[in-house]
Amino acid sequence: MRWSRSLPAARHCRTAALALFGALLAGAPAHAAGVDLYAPRAFGYLIGDTISLEAVVTLDAGWRLDESALPRPRPVTYWLDLKRLDVKPETAPDGAPRYRLTLTYQTFYSPLEPRALDIPAVPLAARKGDARQTLTIPAWTFVSSPLRELVASQRGNPMALQPDIRPRPYPLAGDAQLAAAAAAVAAASLLAFAAASGWGPFAGRSRPFATALRHMRRLPDLDAQLGYEDALQLLHRAFDEAAGQRLFAEDVPGFLALRPALAGEAEAIDRFFTASRIAFFGDAPETAMALLPPEALIDLARKLAAVERRGGTGQGTRKEAA
Amino acid sequence: MHAIADPDGALAQWRDRALDFERAVGRIVLGQERVIRLLTIAVFARGHVLLEGDVGVGKTTLLRALARTIGGSYERVEGTIDLMPADLVYDARVGEDGRPRVDPGPLLRRGPELSVFFFNEINRARPQVHAMLLRLMAERTVSAFGREYVFPFLQVFADRNRVEREETFELPAAARDRFFMEVQVKAPEDFAARRALVFDPRFHDTDLLIAEVPEAIIDYRSLDQVSREIQNTIPASDAIVAYTIALWDAIRTPDKAGIALPGVRMDRLVQGGASPRGMSYLIRAARVRAWLEGRSIIVPEDLRAVFPEVMAHRIFFDPVYEMRREEISADLCRAAFATVPAP
Repeated sequence: MRWSRSLPAARHCRTAALALFGALLAGAPAHAAGVDLYAPRAFGYLIGDTISLEAVVTLDAGWRLDESALPRPRPVTYWLDLKRLDVKPETAPDGAPRYRLTLTYQTFYSPLEPRALDIPAVPLAARKGDARQTLTIPAWTFVSSPLRELVASQRGNPMALQPDIRPRPYPLAGDAQLAAAAAAVAAASLLAFAAASGWGPFAGRSRPFATALRHMRRLPDLDAQLGYEDALQLLHRAFDEAAGQRLFAEDVPGFLALRPALAGEAEAIDRFFTASRIAFFGDAPETAMALLPPEALIDLARKLAAVERRGGTGQGTRKEAA
Repeated sequence: MHAIADPDGALAQWRDRALDFERAVGRIVLGQERVIRLLTIAVFARGHVLLEGDVGVGKTTLLRALARTIGGSYERVEGTIDLMPADLVYDARVGEDGRPRVDPGPLLRRGPELSVFFFNEINRARPQVHAMLLRLMAERTVSAFGREYVFPFLQVFADRNRVEREETFELPAAARDRFFMEVQVKAPEDFAARRALVFDPRFHDTDLLIAEVPEAIIDYRSLDQVSREIQNTIPASDAIVAYTIALWDAIRTPDKAGIALPGVRMDRLVQGGASPRGMSYLIRAARVRAWLEGRSIIVPEDLRAVFPEVMAHRIFFDPVYEMRREEISADLCRAAFATVPAP
């Protein structure tokens, strides 16, 4: 902000309401419509500087600013551009309509010595029904100064390119903290993913029987033939994984011989393989379910999972012969 | 387990006899239980067998004992490079009266009672002989003396020496596919068996040894009938059908089945083979094994027990891998059974 309303340099202008307007509108309120201009300092401008003028247009009740009559951003003179115009409608404390116009000019005047320049007045229009009223943002004068000496007082070329302004230090601490936080989140996600996928150090010992038990408990129709066969298959796959190959009924004695911890379940395991044979290859699932009821199947899986938890289903449990 | 659906118990009696047969042969051929079991399966599946193995491991003894237990006639021919089909069919010689005579040769001599025909060193014989053998195996007929000779009970056993490769004619794929099984015979591993074979004088005289085997435990004339009954009695469940097809796919396209063997490009390994005939033979053999095990259903173990012998020689590899065939095909079969889930 280069200026404010409280600056002593701000010049307060007031333009009186037009007499014609009073004559046209008999029932107009006592206070007159007007434009207040709030301007920045009026000196010390260089070529390329922008100047923001703020005009507060107060209208009588029922009037509104004619938007089509507002100036458009454009070159005003050969040295002055209107870069931008912002209009903000407001309401005055007494309820009258009020507009706050911000006009941003840029000067391209290159004076050889300090020189007063005029920003021309800007005409505005207000309407109330068919009635029309003209207002003006008054002209404003400022002093523009040259960038350099007219005659070089020191040696050297006054036109020489000046060194660049040193870049302002940019505060990086916040960004660095954000980046660190993002890296930490990424690393944590990677670890979680690795743990979930069983990568590297998370590989650990897989627990096929526990997994099979979990899936079997989720089967909706364990008592039906299809669900029962699914459960048999789940346990088969667990045996396959534990054995490291497809385990058939004839392989069971060898499988058990390597895993003494399973000896207690040998009878149930045999019954499971027999039941599975009958169910799948004998096409008699009812007989199989009679031989090994679904509850017994779940029970077997639970016991196997328990042995597995103690590490009894791996081949590493084999006791070396003395 | 299930009892076999066999109202008059005939199949059960036959099974007892088959087990007797196994035991009888097992007493004189030591340490070859697996080979004997496979030959029993072949006998009851009515399939021809190619034996492959080292010299002097008892192949001939085994076959002679087998022929003796089956009954019927037994003929044996040595394959040589100059053997021609006519030498098998005709016996051309000079008679006692000094005139040339043409009598029936080894194949025809025994007439239709010929039950075991043993072709020794089949890879020394020429392709002409292979072709005749092909017909003999497929149709059990031979043309001679202007007519057709039929051998209804014939089972061909052939033997191939795998040590020598000079002056041999590799069997064409079609001939190999016609063999029901290709059985590897190796020297026994068992210490007691090896000691007995070497030190026990009983095993030194083959003729005396074979005379120990009881004759005609199983009647060769009924074998066809029994074989048919076995095939008809033992059903294949949906699960075993699905499993067999999955195995077949795994063998034909091992890369898609997720089988990987070290040092082998799986997408190029299998060029062909694993024919539908082979798969039907596999199920035939599996049914006989199930019956021998006293089961009325086929289980995956049956397939696994006969798979290498029935299928391995029907799988044809990329030429790059043919030289390592034995090792690769064994690994491939093992991997297929380790990979394909059952049920």
